[in-house]
Amino acid sequence: MLHRLQKRGNRLAALLAILCCTASQVFAQMPNDAIYMAKGTACLAVSYTHSSWDKYWENTLLRENLNIGTHTTHIVMPMLAVGIVKNLNVIVAMPYMRTETSAGNLRWQKGFQDASGWLKYRFLNKSGLSLNAIVGASLPVTNYVPDFMPMSIGMQCKTATGRLLASYRHKSGVYLTASGSYILRSKIRLDRDSYQSDGKLYNTNQVAVPNAYDAAARLGYLKHGLQAEGYVEHGACDGGDNIRRNDMPFPTNNMKSTSLGFYAKFQPKNLGINARAVYVLNGSNVGKSTTYSAGILYQFRYAKDKSKQ
Amino acid sequence: MKNNNFKIAWKALFFPAILSVLTTSCNKTVDEPDAGISSPSSLDEKAGTWKPYILASSDDINVPAPEAASSEYYKTELKKLKEQVDAIAPVQREKVNYWAAGAVYRWNEIGRELAARYNTPPASNADGKYPLPDAANPLADPKFPFANPPYTARALAYLSVAQYDALVSAWNYKFKYNRKAPSKNDEAIKSILPVTDLPSYPSEDAVVAEASVTVLKAMFPGEVPYLEEKLAEHKNSRMWAGMNVESDIKAGADLGKAVAAKVMARAKTDGMSAANNQAKTAEMIATAKSIGTTVPWVSQEFPPRPPMLPTYGFVLPWNFSAETVPTLRPGPPPALGSAEFKKNMDELLDIAANQTREQARVANFWSDGVGSYTPPGHWHRKGANLCKENNFSEVRTARTLALLGTTMQDAGICCWDAKYYYYYPRPNQVSKRIKTSVGLPNFPSYTSGHSTFSGAAAELLAYIFPNEKQALDAMAAEASVSRIYGLIHYRFDCEAGLEGGHKIGSFAVERAKKDGAQ
Repeated sequence: MLHRLQKRGNRLAALLAILCCTASQVFAQMPNDAIYMAKGTACLAVSYTHSSWDKYWENTLLRENLNIGTHTTHIVMPMLAVGIVKNLNVIVAMPYMRTETSAGNLRWQKGFQDASGWLKYRFLNKSGLSLNAIVGASLPVTNYVPDFMPMSIGMQCKTATGRLLASYRHKSGVYLTASGSYILRSKIRLDRDSYQSDGKLYNTNQVAVPNAYDAAARLGYLKHGLQAEGYVEHGACDGGDNIRRNDMPFPTNNMKSTSLGFYAKFQPKNLGINARAVYVLNGSNVGKSTTYSAGILYQFRYAKDKSKQ
Repeated sequence: MKNNNFKIAWKALFFPAILSVLTTSCNKTVDEPDAGISSPSSLDEKAGTWKPYILASSDDINVPAPEAASSEYYKTELKKLKEQVDAIAPVQREKVNYWAAGAVYRWNEIGRELAARYNTPPASNADGKYPLPDAANPLADPKFPFANPPYTARALAYLSVAQYDALVSAWNYKFKYNRKAPSKNDEAIKSILPVTDLPSYPSEDAVVAEASVTVLKAMFPGEVPYLEEKLAEHKNSRMWAGMNVESDIKAGADLGKAVAAKVMARAKTDGMSAANNQAKTAEMIATAKSIGTTVPWVSQEFPPRPPMLPTYGFVLPWNFSAETVPTLRPGPPPALGSAEFKKNMDELLDIAANQTREQARVANFWSDGVGSYTPPGHWHRKGANLCKENNFSEVRTARTLALLGTTMQDAGICCWDAKYYYYYPRPNQVSKRIKTSVGLPNFPSYTSGHSTFSGAAAELLAYIFPNEKQALDAMAAEASVSRIYGLIHYRFDCEAGLEGGHKIGSFAVERAKKDGAQ
């Protein structure tokens, strides 16, 4: 008898969109831009992210929950982007997270979440236009509980992402980028061997988590170590069910969100800083979250530049 | 040139690697245990003499004699059955196999599924009040019922009792009239399922289906169309399989319906309609204070939610009288603030700060919370699976689940009696440092419901399946301690609950010793 977990909003999706799916958006060279580290150089970044909501969409109903109050996720994420060759970068990241609520009785959760790795490959680069193919994968690195939502720090999915990204940059520094991705998500296992999804009772600990997709458009300016960008992003699952009335979210939910983001980076030399703000405008089965993050970047050369010898 | 080489290598190695990752993570099939086809190891020929719960005897309800095997009527039925079997479609064959797992087995599973589907507490409205579910309008918000553990314990008890009484009655008529299975009367009928010497009139499947649907419609009135569909499918599946002719089905359906009506007459007067008497709580709190609960329980929800079914402790039990309930009440919990209390609280404060992953696993495995089939559902599943693994007949399966279901409702009644007698605060009411990893129940702490349900269930099941005793006791102990790990119960709640549960279960064991089924 444990009745009453009816509180559990959910903002995991927003988080997922930010972290596990589109991965680490907090940095210089990211899996969702057309910026490349030069061969032999790398950029190490560490960011802190604060994401919170006090309303969430239970299915499509935007509601508050007095037994959660404000739900907050803190994330610290180191990330490394490496220029392998001119048109190929590797990016890796691993976030540490902690969740908490301002009201109610739900226990915090914390820990390292999922390690992600990306390969970014520019297969066309002409007159300011670049076309990029990006693939990524993520793996849970700790055995966190996936279905204690919205307190869980992740969903324990292994993911594989394929993304196409097109970008045009004018001489003035103004650029326009569009991208779309499909994210495959593995089955997960729960501690319990029974759960309900879409009105059906499953007698197993395995859960089929729906795949997901996202699309984004970005308009920005990049010149002389300064970057500023505004963007719109939409993410959703390929199928899935909805949060039941006054119940908690579940990994099978079709978490959808449309968000508006702003990003800025200033990196005059090796050392730089960046900042981001993201607002979820609309969604279902996710928290209406506001996310802020800030990071420091350090660019360095890990191999000699032979072209200068 | 160098660049080109690289590009080739990249395409040759990288994309196949990614593709293989993609394809392996594409498999979304969830492996659920296959229930298989039931193969009873005994006909239980004497089950017509077993003691029913509600019926005065197994011939309380009359089932008319069937048409003789030699009659034209029956021969026409056989002919029609043969045509049906010969024309079976693949989708029908799937249904045949689904129901062949066992009638009681499947309807118990359906009962659990409905419990899970209706197990969400009402949301508070704009005035900070919690509207009550309305049985006359079951699909409105909030849905009726809120299938919480006491509600589900009762629903599954009535379901199993109706199935059992109906089957005891059916067994009586089966061996009285002794109509052989269709394929034994007409060799041209090639039944799709294994055929035994169990007489086929009245059909045990129809008996169980109709009895189950009568109970479940009353318990889950918003599910009538779903239940009707399942009922028709179940009855038809027996004809598609060549197992029963129409008159077997009809006699079974009539009997099942009549028995379930008698069983549900008890439900109307068992006190459940008065189990949510919130007016009684002021008096209960006063009593609790007078016996030493200095800080009585208050709801930890916002807005405060009225406690769950405060007068469920007055509902009529199955295996003992209502007067016995207070005599099964455990002694008082430690005084708040006492050394004993502090020791128990310190344990929780330590888990609150340092819960291990294994503790979280145990808490989650047994959480059985909102959106689940509750602890009674968890134990019904275990009981049903044990019956299946031991190749129990339909009637012996029904008996086991009726014993289990009734003892679990008894456990709920006794536990609720203790909870509202002592009105003891939850750990998180005492210290805000304690927050739950499974969800906080909205009723007093002492004793633990999980522990009481599990103690009773393990006691009963260990009697039916003595080889499993050790495993069952370990399960119950784990279910009990899971509530400490989940940070919603003191250890003394769990220990008193588990011990009390075993005691409650022993009443069902006493019944089992004397019901004629040994």
